[in-house]
Formats: sequence, structure tokens, C-alpha cells
Amino acid sequence: MKSRFKRLGLGIMLSLMALPLAVQVVSAQTADVPREDTVIFDIDATSIASPTNFNDLVPGTNKNQGAHQAMWEPLFILNYATGKIDPYLGTSFTPNDKQDVWTLKLHDGIKWSDGVPFTADDVVFTIQLLLDDKTKTLSDAANMQHWIKSVTKIDDLTVQFDLNLPNPRFQLDYFSVRIWGSVTMKPKHVWEGQDPTTFTFYDPAKGWPIGTGPYKLTSASPEQFVWDEDPNWWGAATGFHALPEPKRLIWIVAGSETNKALLMSNHQLDSAMNITLGTLQAVQAKNPNAVAWVKDAPYSFADPCPRELEFQTEAAPWDNKDLRKAVSLIIDRTQNIAIAYQGTTTPSTTMFVSYGGMNPFIDAITKAGYANDVVAHVEDGQKLIEAAGYAKNGSGIYEKDGKTLDLAIMVGNDTQEYVLSTNELVEQLQQAGVNASSQPVNGATSQNANQTGNFQAQWAWNTCGSVSEPWNSMNQLNVSYYKPAGELATANTERWNTDGAKAYSKIVDQIGSLPLGDPSIPGLVAEAYKYIADETPIVPLVQAEKIVPFDTTYWTNWPTSDNAYTVPTTWWQNTFFILFNLKKATKS
Amino acid sequence: MRGITLNYFLRRLGIFFLTIWIAGTIIWLIPHLAPGDPISAMVARLASRSGFVENSAEIIAGWKERFGLNDSLPIQYVRYLGNLIHLDFGYSMANFPTPVSQLIGQALPWTVGLLLLATTLTFLLGNFLGAIMVWRRTPRLIKYIIPVGMMFTSLPSILAALFLAYVFAFLLNWFPLIGSYDMGMQPGFNLPFIISVIQHGTLPALSIIIVSFGYWTLGMRGMMITVEGEDYMSLARAKGLGPFYMLYRYMVRNAILPQITAFAITLGTLISGQVLVEYAFSYQGMGTVIYNAILNQDYPVIEGTSFMLILITALAVLIIDLVYPLIDPRISYGAK
Repeated sequence: MKSRFKRLGLGIMLSLMALPLAVQVVSAQTADVPREDTVIFDIDATSIASPTNFNDLVPGTNKNQGAHQAMWEPLFILNYATGKIDPYLGTSFTPNDKQDVWTLKLHDGIKWSDGVPFTADDVVFTIQLLLDDKTKTLSDAANMQHWIKSVTKIDDLTVQFDLNLPNPRFQLDYFSVRIWGSVTMKPKHVWEGQDPTTFTFYDPAKGWPIGTGPYKLTSASPEQFVWDEDPNWWGAATGFHALPEPKRLIWIVAGSETNKALLMSNHQLDSAMNITLGTLQAVQAKNPNAVAWVKDAPYSFADPCPRELEFQTEAAPWDNKDLRKAVSLIIDRTQNIAIAYQGTTTPSTTMFVSYGGMNPFIDAITKAGYANDVVAHVEDGQKLIEAAGYAKNGSGIYEKDGKTLDLAIMVGNDTQEYVLSTNELVEQLQQAGVNASSQPVNGATSQNANQTGNFQAQWAWNTCGSVSEPWNSMNQLNVSYYKPAGELATANTERWNTDGAKAYSKIVDQIGSLPLGDPSIPGLVAEAYKYIADETPIVPLVQAEKIVPFDTTYWTNWPTSDNAYTVPTTWWQNTFFILFNLKKATKS
Repeated sequence: MRGITLNYFLRRLGIFFLTIWIAGTIIWLIPHLAPGDPISAMVARLASRSGFVENSAEIIAGWKERFGLNDSLPIQYVRYLGNLIHLDFGYSMANFPTPVSQLIGQALPWTVGLLLLATTLTFLLGNFLGAIMVWRRTPRLIKYIIPVGMMFTSLPSILAALFLAYVFAFLLNWFPLIGSYDMGMQPGFNLPFIISVIQHGTLPALSIIIVSFGYWTLGMRGMMITVEGEDYMSLARAKGLGPFYMLYRYMVRNAILPQITAFAITLGTLISGQVLVEYAFSYQGMGTVIYNAILNQDYPVIEGTSFMLILITALAVLIIDLVYPLIDPRISYGAK
């Protein structure tokens, strides 16, 4: 009996010990594309709950699992370094003098991955689908219906857009990957007759989903998406660009930052999304081949959405513009960066992102004296508070008529950066006598409170949008979006509706009607910004930092500040340019 | 059935349905009382990706209308009850047009495979160790080793997961760090895939086992001590029965009854209780589905998954209640 137990126990132990070895052999045999031909990216999510849904017309559908980086090509891609718009599926997109008729020219020879030619019919079909959506619930349906009167096929390679009103940014805003993605075209021969709200665009038997990109979907699951190179890609056939070197792309849900660090340290992850400085340093200690956008501090790439403190300008006592201005004066941006960001970002002096293309506007504001200082002027801020009738109580907090000067700052709780930065601001404000507090809430709650005006102040980036021209960000404060608190507001969630706001909006509307690059725009920007500086509906804080590490063990020529052929956002649609530039590492 | 009357059976069935209705109502009510809504959560997700969502107010209004979120709460509740009866939870709001049943269907096998196996192993291991800790013939050394091993019980499962991942996945490279199967592998019913699944499930399963077996060990040990002091044990020894026979037939069979009840209740909580383990290993189970649904306030998915858990727990407890007379002949639900 005893020896039988012993034999059984020994057998189980040996089996368990042999299991990892056995699997390693099997894994090696089943990997039909070698690791050195594969690029592994991570997806910033806990899982992709519906991996077989490729209908990106439904808001919320994932497309940064490789779909819009490897399969669905954009018409154009904005080059952040030059501020110019690079052609892709489209060769040109030109407006008439009035900017209300735009003509799109397509590349000749583009094909969907099932071999059917991509033509003007597909563009017209896609736009018409959005124009026909009476509910305006499809992604971009409301935008397209706002701007487009009609869309017409001129010939197989030419499409004409007749707009309801002039729009100099029509190409930039919707078809050029200004930020993250763009309106992607649908294959008419697949989508025609389908219900655009329920069609999933997935059927492996029919080869769906399809795109025009150099990669085709091989498998999809909640934790990984595998894309293999399409040797018949139109780009290589027409000479647009050679086939990218990677044969296979895998997007995985790496999960926690710890997992990303461990995977990249072991060369099992080539590109990770946004990690903290400590994690980057830990990775680099184990894997010297790991690089970031900048070699040394601040290491990070500036995301297009600078962080700011936004007031609900109708919520007392913060309906007093002097109190809002006091907060801006009290805040030391450099201290916030040193403590909350460990020095990995730079301070904001205006509402704009500090890209090269934005410099003329930032310079104009600075020259006019409306830029905020990056260091604190606490005493000046306190004088404004005292002038509003407040005096410090025994606890060092300002008080008026027995009520303390409270400032609840709402902040999304899903990312460490948001909460850390807000907590540090709270500390600064408390020290200056403002009874500030941090209110971390989840995405749904903050979105709802933001749109209904149910907050005092929030740490957010609702004026995000401009990357090469100023109108987009400035227009987010336009009084035309104003809604009273309680009603849903799409923009101007600050509820800024004063005379100053109206004067500001008038100038912004004027900027919006001018062609891109018009020489009068910087002056107008400074003129409008005077009202922001005076009434402070927002307090610019810091540039958004993103540390995006790449492992150069298997692949080199990733985008970096020294080699800025595109931005390092591998979750954006500009990833096509990264794929075109990746080079296989040569083993020494 | 032995020990059960028809009256008891019907009464127990009534309690079963009442439990499900009350629990179903609570899981419907709680998400609806929370601030925010699933459509705002969806737009917030979009905004965090692309910076700003143009015309978001129109998108929110349109989708709220489509999902009936503008209807009054009583109407929404009645509709929900109607769906419950048909076990139809409709579409996920965060992942439209994916049906809730599909989300559950794709996650449940992974959870059943991993968590059910891990929990069953934990139950068997814990009870075995608890039993031999009390058994007189167990070598002294083993009696000292077991309590030392139980120190892991005080660890949260997420820490155990991180520890195991660091040692066995990162340092030793014996097991994969994340996922349910190898990167790039095609899922299918074949040996390489099955082995890959086992290999990927080993560390998550161990994370659960090492932090929870002590719970069963201590429970079993306590029951075994009580049983060992019973008169029938003295009688058994006096009769000269074999030690293994006494251990199994006299001690374990009597001591394990409360453990079986606890196991049935554990089955319901094991899915929701191991969310962090799934998160740590990026494992695609029900825990992740529930976590994401709560994060996105995805009402239909919260309702669907929670209802399934309630159903599983209530069914398990019902079955245990009904089969108790078979396990323990002393128990009878018959009329006095």
C-alpha cells in the first residue's frame, strides 16, 4: 500500500516537473512565424470584451487592437513634426476658395484585401451611410451631418464634398489622423444592405473583416489579436511603399504595468503603452535595449491633450473670476511636475500643446502678456481672495460669512497620473488657504458630471484638439455650446457664458473661417486669449506626458525625438508609418 | 427520495425562487442607483482615447433612447424581469452589438476550467491536510510542516500571483506570464493548444490554491478534533478497526459535512472573488467580464453575470440541501 502511494506521488511530481519543458517544445513547433519576424504591441485594456466586433461605426468599438493600425488605412496622416498632411489612400484633398467644396483624389490601384478595388464608390457609400443615420448615434454621423450637404462621385478616383458651411479644417479634423484616428472607409460590397448598428463585420469564412492595409486578421480573442502580412497589399503592388518588414503583428492585453515591465524585460513585448518613470527605469535596468521617446529626462512624448484645471464657472463661489485667477496664481506647475510627474513632463503656459506647429500661437499669446507663469505667485493670489472678502480662520483656511473657501476637484480615478497630479494641487492650494479636496470618480461619473455641470472644478483636458492650428481647442470654450447646468453639454462644459466669453467666441468664430496658415490667425488668437487670461475658465497646468518604451532587441528604427518621422503612439492610426519604418535588428 | 417529503421539497423550491427574485432585484437596483450611466461611460472611454468626442451629447441621447434608458425605472424593472424569465439579457451596452450571452459564453469555459478546478483542488487538499493534522498516525514532521505552509493563507491572492509570476515566469521562465494560451497560437481542440492552456493556467491556479487551502485545512481540523472525541471513535478503536478505515469511514465522513455546505456557497463567490488573479495574469475569465462591466456601468452585463452567479450558488445550495440525507443518514427532512 505504502509503496503504491509513493509510486503515484513520484509519478505526479515528475509529470508536473516535465510539463513546462514539454510545452516549451510544443510552443516552438507551433510558432509558424518566428519571433524575429513578429512585432508584439500591447493594448491598453483589461481585455477586449467583444473581440469579434469590427463595426467601428458603433461608438465604443475597439479599433486600437490592430484594426486601425494595420488593416484600416486612413485617407491622410498628419505629420506632427512638419505640421503637413501626408497623403495615404488619398493623394490630395483641396478646397475651393470659399472652403465649402472639397475635392478628394484617391490613389490609383488601391484594393481591399479580398481583391475588390477601393474606389470613390466606397468613400461615397461610407459618408452617405453616416449622412443617412437619422438617429446620429453612429460614430461621426453627427459631425458629417453638421458639415456635409452632399457627397458625389466624380469618377472612380474623385469625390466631391459639398459642405453646409465653409470649413478650412475639414480634411484635417476628420480624415487626417489629427488625434488617434479618422473616419475610416467601409467596403461598399460588404456593408451594402447591412444594418450599420448591428453588423459586426466579422465572418472568418467570408474573410471578414477586410481592409486595404498590409495586414489581415488571423485570429481574435479577448486577450490577443494576430495580424499576418498580406503579400498582395496594394501599396507594394503600386509602388506606394514596399511591404513592411514584420511578417506578423500581435496585439496583446498585457494588463498591469508590472506585467508590461516583466514582458519587456524578457523581450516578450516590443512596444508598451504609457508606463511610469519608475517602471521604465526598472525595464532599462534589465533590458538595456529598451528605449523611450527621449533618451534622458523627461523621457516622455507630449500627448496632444495638455492637463488643465477646469472650473464650472457658474457654480458659486467660483463664478467669481478673481477667485479663479487666484487659483491659477497660487499653483506652481514646476512643483506639480517635480512631485507628481517625477520630472517627466513640462509646464503649460497656455491651453495649447507645445508642438512645433503650435509655436506661432503660443508665442503670440506670450508676447501679448496673456500666458500664465509656470511658478507660483501665492501672495498675488491671496490678495485677490482677500479682495473678494475672505479672511483666514484659525486653521489657515480662507473663510467668508462663516463659510470656508472650498474647492472640490473632480478627477478620473482610472490612471495614477490623474490622481497624483490632483493630490499635489490640493496640497498647494491647502497651503495657500484654499480648502481644496480631491474627488476621484470613475469615467462614467466624471463624464456625466462634466456634461451636466455637476462639479466645482475638474482636473481634465476638455480643450484638447489643436495640434497644428488653434481653432479646435479654442472652440471648445465657444458660447455656442453653452447649456445651463443640468442639461447635457458637448463642449464648453465650463459653462462660460459671460460678456467676455461672447467676445472671445466671436473672435474664435472668425479664426474658424480663415484658411489654415492665414497670417492674421496668431494675432487673433492673442486677442481672444485675453478673455481666457482675464476670466480664467481654465487653468493650464502641464503638458500630458506619455512614456512609450520600445524594445530594440528584435526591431529597430522606432520613432524617437531624434528620429521623429512620426509620433510614437502605437495605438493611433499613424502606426502604419511606424510599421513602414521598422527594421529587423541585426544580431551581432 | 430518502429523508425528503414532497412538502419540504416544494417549500425549498419556493425559497429558491424567492432568493433568486430578491437577489435579482438587488443586482438590478444597485447599478441604477449609482451616478453616471453606461452611455456616458462609453463616451468617457472614447474621450480618453481620442481626446474629445464631438457631438457627444447627441450620441448619448441617441443610445439612451435605443437602450430604453430614458424610460422610467419601474418600466425598466418590469422589462428586466421579463428578460430574466427568458434568460435573455440582451446586448452589452459597452460592447454593442455583442449579446450578453456571448460575453458570458466566451468567458465561462475559462473560468470553469481554471477556477472550478483550482477550487476543487483547494477543497480536496485543504480537507486532506486538515484531516491528517488530527490523525494520530501522521508523522510529527508533517504536522509541523503543514502550519508553516499555511502562512500563505494570510496573503491576498494578488500578492501570491505577483510572487509566483516573478519567480516562475520571470526569473525561472518555467511558465508564461500572461494570457490563457501562447501568443500567436490558433485556438483549437488539439494537443498543443490544450497543453498551452494548462501551462498558462498553472500559475493562476496555484495563486488561488496556496492562499485558500488553509481555510479548508483549519475548518477540517476543527471538525476532526470534535469527531475524534466522540464515543463511537473509542468504540471503533476498541473493536480494533484499521487506522485507514477509521480515518475515512468514521472521522472524515462525519467531519466533512459542514465543509461540503461551505463548498457549495464558495462556488458562487469563486468567480467574483478571483478578479484580481485574472487581472494579474490577464486571464480571460468571468472575473474580467464582471470587472469591466462594473467599470463601464454596463447594466445588462452586470445583471447577466451576477444573475448567473446567483443562480449557480442558489442551485448548488439547493442541491446540497436535497442530497444531504443521502450523504448523512442521520439527517431527515421527513415529518416529525
